[in-house]
Amino acid sequence: MNGWTGTTLRVDLGRGTITREPTNMKVAHDYIGARGMGVKIISDEVDPHADALGPDNKLIFAPGPLTGTFAPSAGRYNVVTKSPLNGVIAGSNSGGVFGPELKFAGYDALIIEGQAKKPVFLWIKDDVVEIRDASSLWGMTVADTTEALREKTEPDAKVACIGPAGENLSLIASIMNEMHRAAGRTGVGAVMGSKKLKAIAVVGTGAITVADPVAFKAAVMDSRDKIHANPVGGAGLKAYGTDVLVNILNQSGALPVNNYQDAYSPVADKIGGESLAANQLVRPKGCFACVISCGRATKVTNPLYAGVGEGPEYESAWAFGVDSGIDNLDAIIKANYLCNEYGLDTISMGATIACAMELYELGLLTKKDTDGLDLSFGNVASMVEMVRKTGVGEGFGKRLAAGSYRLAESVGRADLSMTVKKQEMPAYDPRGVQGIGLNYATNNRGGCHVRGYTIAVEVLGQGAPTDPHATEGKAALGVAFQDLTSALDSTGSCLFATFGIGGAELASMLSALTGVEYSVDDFMKAGARVFNLERLWNLKVGYTAADDTLPPRILTEPIKTGPSKGEVNHLEEMLPEYYSLRGWDENGVPTPAKLAELSL
Amino acid sequence: MLIKYFATFRDLTGELSRKLDESPATIADLLELLSVRYGKAFRGAVFDDGALSSLLILLVNGRNVRLTGGLSTPLSPTDEVSVFPMVAGG
Repeated sequence: MNGWTGTTLRVDLGRGTITREPTNMKVAHDYIGARGMGVKIISDEVDPHADALGPDNKLIFAPGPLTGTFAPSAGRYNVVTKSPLNGVIAGSNSGGVFGPELKFAGYDALIIEGQAKKPVFLWIKDDVVEIRDASSLWGMTVADTTEALREKTEPDAKVACIGPAGENLSLIASIMNEMHRAAGRTGVGAVMGSKKLKAIAVVGTGAITVADPVAFKAAVMDSRDKIHANPVGGAGLKAYGTDVLVNILNQSGALPVNNYQDAYSPVADKIGGESLAANQLVRPKGCFACVISCGRATKVTNPLYAGVGEGPEYESAWAFGVDSGIDNLDAIIKANYLCNEYGLDTISMGATIACAMELYELGLLTKKDTDGLDLSFGNVASMVEMVRKTGVGEGFGKRLAAGSYRLAESVGRADLSMTVKKQEMPAYDPRGVQGIGLNYATNNRGGCHVRGYTIAVEVLGQGAPTDPHATEGKAALGVAFQDLTSALDSTGSCLFATFGIGGAELASMLSALTGVEYSVDDFMKAGARVFNLERLWNLKVGYTAADDTLPPRILTEPIKTGPSKGEVNHLEEMLPEYYSLRGWDENGVPTPAKLAELSL
Repeated sequence: MLIKYFATFRDLTGELSRKLDESPATIADLLELLSVRYGKAFRGAVFDDGALSSLLILLVNGRNVRLTGGLSTPLSPTDEVSVFPMVAGG
């Protein structure tokens, strides 16, 4: 067994049973691992109509075959489950060192099923696996939980856990590891909370065997060199972090402002990566085997928002920043720290606050609703306080904890929730960048940028020049990015590795590692298989082509100012071609021929 | 004409932005003018053997010049030009 460990761990919290199973190697070959393996397990074992927060849902933690090796920036694990936010087959991935540790402990996947009757944590040290009482941890923040677990187990244990938000079943709760890294999206933290699983602590001492060490080393070094040679992967991300995107998206007319009411801000520079590097950055930080180091270890000395931690990423700076009418980077970082402490998705949290602010300014929410807070756009103190209230599930925070769709729907204005399939869109306005709108509309987990990052080509100049305002060619671009990301996620690699390498390099490393020959076509086909299986599951849940859409504002309300003034998204020009290229019928259903091609 | 600098170009120029009284006719003219002002390191960052550097993102009123004629892109006195190195994120 090479690359994969050959063992899957199954823990039934309801029955209190722990079993080891041989990993299904046919599944491993066809779906690679991580996201792909998790999707296959959920698809096979979970009823699409199961209650996402009930005992019949399952929660998969899966590193990929490259995870834990010295392949560049391949330190990630995926969480896959049925989302409580929107019911789709969901998932989120995270870096840090938790994923590699789970692999070193000997597992390709950890399947959590059932529900415990009282709070528990899972202790894994190689073959020793125990379900332990976590009553004393329940209610603790992420940092306190992590430190307490290291005292209870071993000082170098790697911990993934939920904070109070996950315990309170917030639909935008994340799972955190190493205190600051997040599997943030789709409400995976609420599923962990519903199972009364506070944390998983892991120590792994095993090794990963390699089929062809000489070829693997050569393939890895080739990929490392290419990432280093790329100006983005090699130096750009390390110097400024992802927050450097604030200015280029703003200058391109695609930085959403005030809940997507506009797409340009004259004060955006105050929250960008340049400002962060000059004022709050302590040092860049990388995950396991990272050659990029986009992470930001930061410190805020402003007494109003003082603290030490990590972040913000671009998306977080945007959501708590200009999307909420705010240009105070200290406060934005404080909001980010609170999300890390309480275990909240920064994108959905910030975008939900932005939505609440618009509803407040329209008079649809009043101080009677908001515990007396003035929620006008730009109110910095209220923004930070709303994060705290959401984190602990207090007052108005309970409504925010369900995300912007349910909040806006509760006052009869679901159209003002900037969501796709009830998940908040990230920080790229689809009116200013057409292709990312197509990706949002068709993404299997709802509003999401990382699983089809066409921005790399449309705005950031990677590849052939492409007009962000044009719709031509965007369907093919979207399919290619979605399939590549599905395969990449399944290896356990970081998306940012693609600023330097692509399917050829990933397939080469995977082949030398596992001994299973993957051509580039095999690799991309595995990605398409994962993506289509997710689609099939979502169709069973009840999603239809009508859900492959964008908020009405994006389709009908032109951008008011800036370089993209007057633009709307023309999804209708791209979607039919997208379906055709996907091998789906006009209703967005994969055809029998496509299913046969993908062995689905 | 307003020139805005971002990321490493702030270090290269020592400025956040600059208003030009001159009105260069094209992007090539503008970059030549700025290279004279800021020197060798700036020139090396914007030109590659006389061509537009592939490591540069240059926007005129929000439009990438690679879509509008590259070095031949015409300029007018009211234009806003944004100068970025290759950046990324997500």
